Amino acid sequence: MENLTIQATKYTPEINLDTFGMISLTGKSYPENTFDFYEPMMQWVREYFASSPADETVVNMEIIYFNSSSSKLFFDFFDLLDEVKENHRISINWIYDEENESAEEAGEDFIEDFENLDIKLVVK
Amino acid sequence: MTVHENKLVSEIESLKAEFIKTTEKLIKDVKRQDKIMARSDKRQQQEYDELQVKFAEVETLQKEIEETQKEVVFTMGAIGESRSKETGLHVKRVAEYSKILALSYGLDEKEAEMLKQASPMHDIGKVAIPDSILNKPEPFNPQDREIMDTHAQLGFDMLKMSNRPLLKMAATVAHEHHEKYNGNGYPQGLKGEEIHIYGRITALADVFDALGSDRVYKKAWNDEKIFKMFKEERGEHFDPKLIDIFFENLDKFLAVRDRMKDI
Repeated sequence: MENLTIQATKYTPEINLDTFGMISLTGKSYPENTFDFYEPMMQWVREYFASSPADETVVNMEIIYFNSSSSKLFFDFFDLLDEVKENHRISINWIYDEENESAEEAGEDFIEDFENLDIKLVVK
Repeated sequence: MTVHENKLVSEIESLKAEFIKTTEKLIKDVKRQDKIMARSDKRQQQEYDELQVKFAEVETLQKEIEETQKEVVFTMGAIGESRSKETGLHVKRVAEYSKILALSYGLDEKEAEMLKQASPMHDIGKVAIPDSILNKPEPFNPQDREIMDTHAQLGFDMLKMSNRPLLKMAATVAHEHHEKYNGNGYPQGLKGEEIHIYGRITALADVFDALGSDRVYKKAWNDEKIFKMFKEERGEHFDPKLIDIFFENLDKFLAVRDRMKDI
């Protein structure tokens, strides 16, 4: 299985998917078609956990601005992680700037909804 | 008697479990969706508020810039005026006449207003004319006249480097306000519509006001004499269309002259 990198654009984040156990999203997220845009990432993540993932997988999400369909997609993404967490060690860092109140609140929502996932709020 | 458990029951039991699982998931999804919407609404409101604040700031700055430009242009006009023999409210009246002509000629309100602001700078080049010539009490000799006439080019040279629309317009006005429709003006000897409309307008406004005002070296002309000269110079010194506009709107010009009399 190969690593996957998607470069950032004006409306979409940089995505780095590494087989040694790192999933990272950095930037803004308001794609024209959110679900199409994230499909390659979701596909990769499904395959990654289905094949031979690293002992521990670290997810770093630093999304400074996102639309509501991205928010929905992140819930779906966490659902996916929630389904595989029994067999894998996954730690998630929700990274945000101190002044970015809405990013902080979104992180808190994810923690509340996914109490079985290890999500940490990380102030930059 | 033993009643065998109906297979249907276990099937229904399993369907029931599936149903509960699915409805729970649906409920969870709906709640999640609501949460996303609520969060999104809240964020939109915040962003809208922030944008309004930013817009107000931009507007204030824009106004500040425009006011500064106006002030700079007006001050430069006043400097030019202080160096010329034309006194009092001359440049202000020229500004008003220019706007009336511009609007009637068909320029839009914004451009006409800009011309009103730029036209007072038509004589800015006079700041570079020596006092000995500028303040000469007796009539100019040909050499004096030659030097005096350089003020149009000098004014243009002072302003031409600017990229500001208002100053660019002022540069054109300074450069071309002594051109004549028949090609006998200066400094370039441009003819007809080769002369920019800003130049043609300011030329008429400037002359109308100069003729109607007392000067150290001459008395004001009466209206009859001015109108006769304008009719003669229609298509010669002045753009014929502008002369027509002038006579069609005569009451407006006279109202401005009355309102802004030199005391």
